[in-house]
Formats: sequence, structure tokens, C-alpha cells
Amino acid sequence: MTSLLDQTRFSESIYKPTMARIVDINDLTALDRLFTVELPDGVYLDHQPGQFVKVSVLGVGEAPISISSSPSRTRQTFELAIRKVGDLTGVLHDLQAGAMVGIRGPFGQGFPMDRFKGKNLLFIAGGCGIAPLRSLINQVLDDRGSYGHMQILYGSRSAADLMFKDELHEWENREDVELLLSMEKADIDWPACTTGYVTHLFPQIELDPRNTIAVIIGPPVMYKPTIAQVRNKGIIEGNIWLSFERRMKCGVGKCGHCQINHIYVCRQGPAFQYQHVKDLQEAM
Amino acid sequence: MKPKIAFFDFTSCEGCQLTVVDSLQTNVGLLDMVEIVQFREAMTEKGTDYQIAFVEGSCTRESDEDRLRAIREQADVVVALGACAHLGGINAIRNIYSIDEVRDEVYGDKGEWYETYQPRPIDAVIAVDAVIPGCPIDRDEFIAVVTQVLQGREPRIPDHPVCIECKLNETVCMYLRGEICLGPISRAGCGAICPKYGFGCVGCRGMISNPNLESMEEVLEQYGRTLEEARAKMSMFLTYQTLEEGES
Amino acid sequence: MQPAKILPKSAFPGWIDFLKRSYTVVGPKAMHGQTVFGEIETADDLTLEYNQSVIPPKKYLVPQREVLIEYKLDGTEVEAKFNEEATVVFGVHTCDLHAIKLLDLIFSKGFTDQHYAAHRDNTIIIGYECLTTCGPESFCRSMGTASAPESAYDLHIIDMGSDYFIQIGTERGEALFTGYDGVFTATEPDYARMNGTLSDKWQRFPYRLDVDVTEIPDLLAESYHSDHWQELADICLACGMCTQVCPTCYCFDIRDEVDVTLSVGKRVRSWDSCQIDSFALVAGGHNFRETRAARQRHRFMRKGKYQFDATGMVGCVGCGRCATACLVDITPIKTFNELYRRQQQQPEEVEA
Repeated sequence: MTSLLDQTRFSESIYKPTMARIVDINDLTALDRLFTVELPDGVYLDHQPGQFVKVSVLGVGEAPISISSSPSRTRQTFELAIRKVGDLTGVLHDLQAGAMVGIRGPFGQGFPMDRFKGKNLLFIAGGCGIAPLRSLINQVLDDRGSYGHMQILYGSRSAADLMFKDELHEWENREDVELLLSMEKADIDWPACTTGYVTHLFPQIELDPRNTIAVIIGPPVMYKPTIAQVRNKGIIEGNIWLSFERRMKCGVGKCGHCQINHIYVCRQGPAFQYQHVKDLQEAM
Repeated sequence: MKPKIAFFDFTSCEGCQLTVVDSLQTNVGLLDMVEIVQFREAMTEKGTDYQIAFVEGSCTRESDEDRLRAIREQADVVVALGACAHLGGINAIRNIYSIDEVRDEVYGDKGEWYETYQPRPIDAVIAVDAVIPGCPIDRDEFIAVVTQVLQGREPRIPDHPVCIECKLNETVCMYLRGEICLGPISRAGCGAICPKYGFGCVGCRGMISNPNLESMEEVLEQYGRTLEEARAKMSMFLTYQTLEEGES
Repeated sequence: MQPAKILPKSAFPGWIDFLKRSYTVVGPKAMHGQTVFGEIETADDLTLEYNQSVIPPKKYLVPQREVLIEYKLDGTEVEAKFNEEATVVFGVHTCDLHAIKLLDLIFSKGFTDQHYAAHRDNTIIIGYECLTTCGPESFCRSMGTASAPESAYDLHIIDMGSDYFIQIGTERGEALFTGYDGVFTATEPDYARMNGTLSDKWQRFPYRLDVDVTEIPDLLAESYHSDHWQELADICLACGMCTQVCPTCYCFDIRDEVDVTLSVGKRVRSWDSCQIDSFALVAGGHNFRETRAARQRHRFMRKGKYQFDATGMVGCVGCGRCATACLVDITPIKTFNELYRRQQQQPEEVEA
């Protein structure tokens, strides 16, 4: 057995993708689809939550996509939630199960789950930020005893924009998960749904700031106000983690596109400890 | 089934369609991929059932508008072919004069006989899905755009200035040769062919998205050229845009 | 290190002809009053005494356009492509040798870029000692790049009047003389002459920066919030020429190109520029370096600080190409000096 990373790194070229089969496609929203991808026999994905792969359609191009399945539920197959926002993702959405895509990676630094063990977790997702966060959430759920209390705040535009609805219901029904939703248009029957942004959920939560890790993943505009709320709860900078979206073209720290000041997001990120990026003007 | 494509000409020299014919000679494979149903420059048939329309030329009279709208109605994808369709181009130079002056100058006392109005790019009349810029178009870019359309993608054209490609050619800068060049504010994709052969860029592919025009003026001054000279150069392809800018 | 060689200038054309039998030979050539690196047929084509070339010889290691992989669209064949052309690059200035050393570090750090490595493996670098400065925009003396770095060259040529003193950098460099008998092993007096030539050259290399090269990373770090970036942005055309001609710029784009029959394609990388609007644009439409000021700052921060942090080498080698290319006279000499002047004026700059 070979890990995909070894396959990527030690094949003749770091730019040569491994061809993998899309085995299942499910609609998440009108714009988002969940692709289940199966690596060739003998190759497995060994990743950390928060890492990404470069996904390509031969003849179209390549894009960085965060891995949506948790390491605990991933081996030869893994899941990618992909929003239709551009050229390549548009083509991906037109594919049918059975189609082949190129995969390189997994690249970058994910979230250090070992450091989160024993801690309470505050997971905050905005929009399609839930896609990479789902990888963390399921990793925790599959090893539930190793972590403390888990709170999930998920901000979405409307009910139609909610991703992973089935899983949201599962999480909602669990005793050991506290799930709060916010929507700009709260058009859903949900036990805990607030009209507004994800930042509006903070008054409703209680947490022990000394023992809580916050993880924030969402669109660029979300970070500053959300971090302010998290800090307001008394969580120190070193316990706040973020993930950044950039246009990683190469994925291997060469092409320069994803650079934030001196940092290559594709190598040192996409997961970052807040204190390491808070002073970088180009970060948020 | 092969997609059906059609070519249309409005006011233009038809040089872009000639470039299409030329590009087909080295890309014969395209003919296996599409069925050309209308192409006055190259065939007599005039099929009216098509999905992809290439339009050369600018719209220069009201009746052109109806024809353009009919094309838009029929085609799934409309591609502006070349500077006249994309920018209004050379035809729009006359827009600095009133339409009556133009009639008098061109047709004398027969001016009233001819239908005409101020030339404009086709996107002033109909929605355009893609542009192949240039005067004439670049044959490789034509093939690349067609390929992307066949893939069902939105074709992308460069949005960086000609200077980039000119430097790659290691061409001596036109300003060092005492010539005006619109390279710093004009869209690349042409391989900086004009400076390569000693002619300053005239911006036939239009301007880049965010040109620094103030700084461009300072460059002109620094190299002893005037704004008027630069405007004269810009008038060749960019009169329509310059006048629009002035009005807004 | 292997003993150096002495090649009489009279034997130089013969050596070039000898090399041409096994290699593509490229070097500096005069063209329309400029110098460009291009293929040479005979020694007469070479202009070894030259001011900096328009595009640096990096183009032989990181081509402007390079096919990375070729494939069938159905995925049944995916093949990596590598440069296989054995090339000798003649007459590389010392600043450009430093730049190649930096590129070596970048493309081997973390993930090894095998395409770069293939170029490097197939490209023999012959340095050429600059004995005078290139022009008013060059400041190699200030950047510490007016002498050849230890690695990066296979052979290094020093012009000693009637003959060339040739330092051996690598075995494959030395092998370029295997089978060629017009060359001699350098003797003690040759070394003495060579050292005399080198020590004489420094009077022709003025310092052009007011700040020492070792202070540049800190200077840039402290200048991050300087107003000077906006002043540069006001005049910057964002044309991208500065990055195209820079020997240590290597940022690239990767695109797919497809045959019109939609059966085969290739993935191609080509030079990109951080000075172009769309460079830091992400899929959702957010541009993380939208202003020209942010982009100019990024460029200078990369040269002066970021590349230093990543590799231990300052990213600017003082060649002055960007200054020569710039139509609005944005130059590293003026920029570094102006930032330094402001830093000296306000030793305790307060962050906004």
C-alpha cells in the first residue's frame, strides 16, 4: 500500500496527478455537490482534517479542494464537497459517477488533532466552511471519548444553503454535540436557529475559555468579526485556529499564488493558529 | 451530434474570417468536431440552425441590430470575432463627427439614401458570451477559444498588458526607440507582435481592466511625447470606448 | 577543488566548436543594442563583455512556457515531460549565478520540482566574472553578488587579457575539456595573475545602496506600513515587466491546453507576475492583493525579506534589470535607499 502523498511526491513529477474514480455524487445544495472519490487499488489517502487535495479534470485544469471526509472514515475513498464557482468546478459538476479525475496531495498542514485532545471544542463554520470542518467533526465523533464538549456554530444564508442536512440532524440529536444554526433568512424548522450571522450565536453559548479550542472556517469576510466574538468569550489567541482559502496553483510551495506575506498557505496552512497570522495584513 | 456553428459578418474587412479559414488549414481536426452551416467567406450554404455564432464586424446601422438579435435568439453561444465586433474598432473612428457630417463627407448629396448610424461593438446591442480580440484575431487564440466553447467552458482571454509579452520577446522598448506604444495599458495575447516588428501597440485588443492612465500620461511626458499623440493612437481602435468614457 | 585551467583566447573559438558537437550552446548575444541570451553557432556570436541581458539566463532553467504533463483526456495516459536537451549556458554574470543558487534552493525545498531538476541536470552553467559594473542601475557590489558564489556554476571564466582563467566548479564542468587539448592546467603565476585581476576590479564597482545588504530584511520588515508603497503605486503601470526580467522571480501559472479534437492535452506552466491584478484572486472573487501598493510592497518584501526568510539568501541580486525595464523609474536602488532614509529619520516608527 502507498499513501497518495508518497505517490505524489515520489512519482516522476509532483505535478502528475493520480487518476481516481468518482464513485458517487450527491447534491448538497443547488451549488454544492459531494463527490466520493476512489483511489486506485493499493493507494490510500492519509490526511489530517483541514488538508486539501488538488483536483483536476484533464483538459480543463486543477483546483485546490479541501477534504470533507474525516481520516477516521477515509482510506481508499474520500469525500470532497465542491461548490460550483468557476471554470473547473463547473465542469466537475457536469461529471457523472464513474468519471475519472486527477488527484494530487494531500497538501499543507491540517489541524493538529492530537493537540485538541482533552479539550472542549468550539467549531464555527460559515457557508461552505462546513465542508472542511465536517472532516474535523466526524474525526472527533469517531473518537468521542478523547475530546471534551463539542459546540458547532454554523452560519448559512438560508435553509436551502445548508450543507450535510442529514448529518446536521444526526449531530442535533446527539447528547454530546451542541449545534446552533444561524441564517440570514431563518426559513427552517430547527430547534436552535437564529436569524442573522454566525456571530449572533455567541450570546447563546457558554464555554470554559481556559479549556476550549476554537476552529473557524468560512468566507474571508467572516474571520474578523468571528474572531472578535471568540476573543470576547475569553479564548486566548493560541487556542484559536483558522483555515484560509487561497488560489494554490501548485500545492507545493513554488508558484507563489497562495502567498500571504511570507507564508505559503499551501505549505504552512491552510490551517493556522490565529496568533501566527493575526498581524499579517494580507491574511484576513 | 456535432455542434453547428455559423459565421456572420457586419461592418468589417472580413480579415478575421480569413484568419479563421487560415487557422482551419493547420487545425483540420476542428472540422471533425463541428458542422459549419453558414460561412459566407468560405461557402455558399446558408443554414439557419446553429448553436455557436461567430460575429465579425461592428454594428453600424439600425437594421444590423435586428440581425444581431436574430443571431442571439438562435445561438446558445455568441462569440465576438475581432476588434470591430469586440470594440467597435476602426469603424467607430467616425464617431468623433456627427452622423450628418459623416453622411456628407462619404456620400455627398446622396447621404440620405444610405442607412447608417454611429458604429458600436456588438455587445452594445446583444449579450456576448466570449470575445476573440484583435485586429486581426490570433489564429491560435481562435482555436483555443473554440476548443473551450466545445468543452462547454467560458473562454478566457488574457487580462495583462502587452508589455509582459513584449519583454518575453526581449524586444527593445518602443519608448526607447522614440515611438509611442500603448503596450502598458493594452490587453496582451497577441505575442506583442507589433512592437516585435517595430510598430508601437495601438491597443487593438482593448485595454486591460485597470490601466493606470495617469501614470501613462507621465510616461508620455517623460519620453517627450504628447497626450494628443497618444490619443491619436488610441483613436484607431478605442474611439468608441473613449467617447463612452467622456459621456459617462 | 580541481586545479583551474588556462585557455588561451586564440583557442577559445575552437573550444566552442568542440562543445557544439555535444551540446546546444547558448550565451549572451548583441541584439539591437541590447544583450539577449540565445543559441550561438560560433564564438563570434558571443558577446562576453556585456551589460545585463534583458531576460536572465533563468529562462533555460525555468522556461517561460513549459509542458509539465501530457495526457489523453480520457485519463488512460498521463505522462510527465522533462527537458532532455543538453545545453551549455555561456557567460553567466555573477549576479545571475547567485540567482541560480537561490532558484536551486526554492525548487528543491520541501517538494523537489523534478522539472526544474531536469533542466538543471541537463544544463551546464559557465559563469563569467564581471570585471566592471553593468550600468548605473546595477548594484551587485552592495548586494554582495559581484563575485561568483561557491556553487551554481560548473565552470567560471575570468578574463585575464590574452587568456581565460577557468575555475572548475564541478566534475561535469571539467569534463567539458575532456578530449580537447588546447587548454592548460593553471600554475602558480596564473593564480597570482588571476588574483591581481580580481582585486583590481573592485575600484570599478561602486556601492549604490546606503544600507548594508545584511540590514535589508529588517529594513523591509520595518517598512511594511510605509507610505512609500502608495507612492510607488501611484506611478506603477502594473505592467509586470519588473518580474519578467527578474532573475529570482519564478512564480508561475498552470493551465491546461487541449487539442481541438478534445482527445489529447497538456498541462503547461508559464511565468506569472504578482504585479498583475488577478494574481491573488480566489474563486469566490476576493482579491487579497487588490491594490498596486500592496503588490509593489509584496514584490519588494519578497526580494528583500520573504525569500531571505525562506532560503537565507536575499532575493534581490542587484542586477538592475527591473530598473532598466521600468518605464516609470521604479528602481530597487531608489526604493531601498528611500526606505532606509525614512527609517533613519524615524527610528521609532509607530505602527498605525
